[in-house]
Amino acid sequence: MDVALPQRLSIKEGWIGRILIAFMTLGFIALAAAAVAIGWITVRNRTYTAEILHTQDVRQAIATLQIEMEQSETARRGYVLTGQPLFATAYLRTAGKLEPAIQDLRHLTSDNRRQIDRLDLIEPRVAELRALRAQSMTLVAAGRIAEAQRRFMVDASVPLMRGIRYRLQAMAAEEVRLLAIRSGRQQWTSMLFLSVAGAAAVLLAIVAILAILVIRRYTTDLAASRDSLRNLNETLEEQVAERTADLSRANEEIQRFAYIVSHDLRSPLVNVMGFTAELATAAAPLAELVDRAEAEAPHILTEDARLAAREDLPEAISFIRTSTQKMDRLINAILKLAREGRRTIAAERIEPAQLVDTIIGAMQHVIDDRGATVRVERPMPTIVTDRLALEQILSNLIENATKYLKPGRPGEIVVKGHTERNRVILSVIDNGRGIDPRDHQRVFDLFRRSGAQDQPGEGIGLAHVRALAYRLGGTIDVQSTLGDGATFRLNLPAIMTIQDAA
Amino acid sequence: MNDHKSVGIVMIEDDEGHARLIEKNIRRAGILNDIRHFTDGTTALDFLFNAADGPAKSGPAMILLDLNLPDMSGTDILTRIKAEGSPLKRTPVVVLTTTDDKVEIQRCYDLGCNVYITKPVNYESFAQAIRQLGLFLSVIQVPDAED
Repeated sequence: MDVALPQRLSIKEGWIGRILIAFMTLGFIALAAAAVAIGWITVRNRTYTAEILHTQDVRQAIATLQIEMEQSETARRGYVLTGQPLFATAYLRTAGKLEPAIQDLRHLTSDNRRQIDRLDLIEPRVAELRALRAQSMTLVAAGRIAEAQRRFMVDASVPLMRGIRYRLQAMAAEEVRLLAIRSGRQQWTSMLFLSVAGAAAVLLAIVAILAILVIRRYTTDLAASRDSLRNLNETLEEQVAERTADLSRANEEIQRFAYIVSHDLRSPLVNVMGFTAELATAAAPLAELVDRAEAEAPHILTEDARLAAREDLPEAISFIRTSTQKMDRLINAILKLAREGRRTIAAERIEPAQLVDTIIGAMQHVIDDRGATVRVERPMPTIVTDRLALEQILSNLIENATKYLKPGRPGEIVVKGHTERNRVILSVIDNGRGIDPRDHQRVFDLFRRSGAQDQPGEGIGLAHVRALAYRLGGTIDVQSTLGDGATFRLNLPAIMTIQDAA
Repeated sequence: MNDHKSVGIVMIEDDEGHARLIEKNIRRAGILNDIRHFTDGTTALDFLFNAADGPAKSGPAMILLDLNLPDMSGTDILTRIKAEGSPLKRTPVVVLTTTDDKVEIQRCYDLGCNVYITKPVNYESFAQAIRQLGLFLSVIQVPDAED
């Protein structure tokens, strides 16, 4: 379950989530584009509005010019007809505005060649008109009203005005045309603005919905993973306890099995041994009888009977004995392993160097007999584990190291230790006869031995060592080449935690 | 045995071979007491407590008990014999078994076992132990069931 968990969490962030995020990103890009478009459209719109206002201004200026022209004409005619000074002042007021009005118009239409052309035609005519008017005004002011009236009748002011009027109308028409174009443009940009804004609004809504979906999805996922994590957390202790109980049960079962098997095997063995002894006891008087028969009546003694009593029977009994004794040792070994598995272990702080010293001290005479030396490399890391188990492991390894020497080479055994993270590695290194790499696993199996069978033993020690190492939460391995010594490495947790509930 | 009532030996042992070996060695030690042999717990208990000629009703006895029996554990029988109010409470019990498990030995003594002998595969020491038991039998005073 602990393996499946990260996988399950990552699947939740899978393709649907990625598609949603892609859509959201697209939505945001589109929104940004819409914002840029709206900005551009607004700028355009402002330009078009300014143009329209400008056109209105031009139209206003054209109208002003025309009105001033008409008003000044009206004032002139009134003055010519009546001689009233009131008209003279009115004329002066309006006539003075004509020239600024033209200049104003020229300024406003400076960007339009056609209007300027028209204005170029209007301007001299206005000047001509003004000259004519000024003449009339001067004549009337001088009292020569009749002359003024006569001249008025014949002068060219009416056609001039008509011409000016006509051209001003043309200018106005031009401006109307421009206004229509510009209004059209403005309308179009307004429409564009509206549609882009509408599209942006729709996009915004979509992005918002997508965002909500994504957020909801993540929230749901988070809630789900939080729940499953909490669930796992809550049941973790339970699961661990359950599995530990299972393992302990299985272990107990095996221990009990080994115990019963070895126990029940012993029972018949007692009989075999007992009755073999009885047989030996019974054979003794028979052998005696054969001896006596040979001495007193050799003719009744057959060769077969003599062989049976003197050789066959003792030989058979001897083989049965050695076999049963061996079988007894094997059964005892299984029993010992089974019992070791049932022993409660207790963690305590141990200085391995001291422990090794004690072990060497206890077997010093054996080591000396075998002509070996054992050296402890200090310092060795402190370890928290079961003292008896560690002692048995190390004592077995050191015993083996001094036992399987290479003939003609004095044994040199080194015991050392180092820490690897939270593990302690204790090594027993010898220069003995070594172990064939094919046998590296086999030597740890019960009743299996490697190399020349020239040393006493049942193949129990290393099996026991491995069982103990496992029990302490550790492992054991061997590195060796044949004829070149062996290194047994015991890998133990620096601080043992007792796992079995048994 | 002198003026004492003869002590009957009740042997509860499912293995015929073991029973024979034990008997042989007891006889070799010069013990001639009557030996009753049972191969299962049920009939043995029936004899111990109910039989007219059983130890509960008449005569002192001594029990040789194997712990591994087909129908019940030897410790169950030991518990019954040594229970409070049992007529056989004072009857000596010698436990004879293949187990040399410390815990089991302790448990047997706790239940009131008087002697515990493991059956070693080394026959000589076994025979020795049985013979010594025979000597022991010849000197002990076994209390009467009726007190």
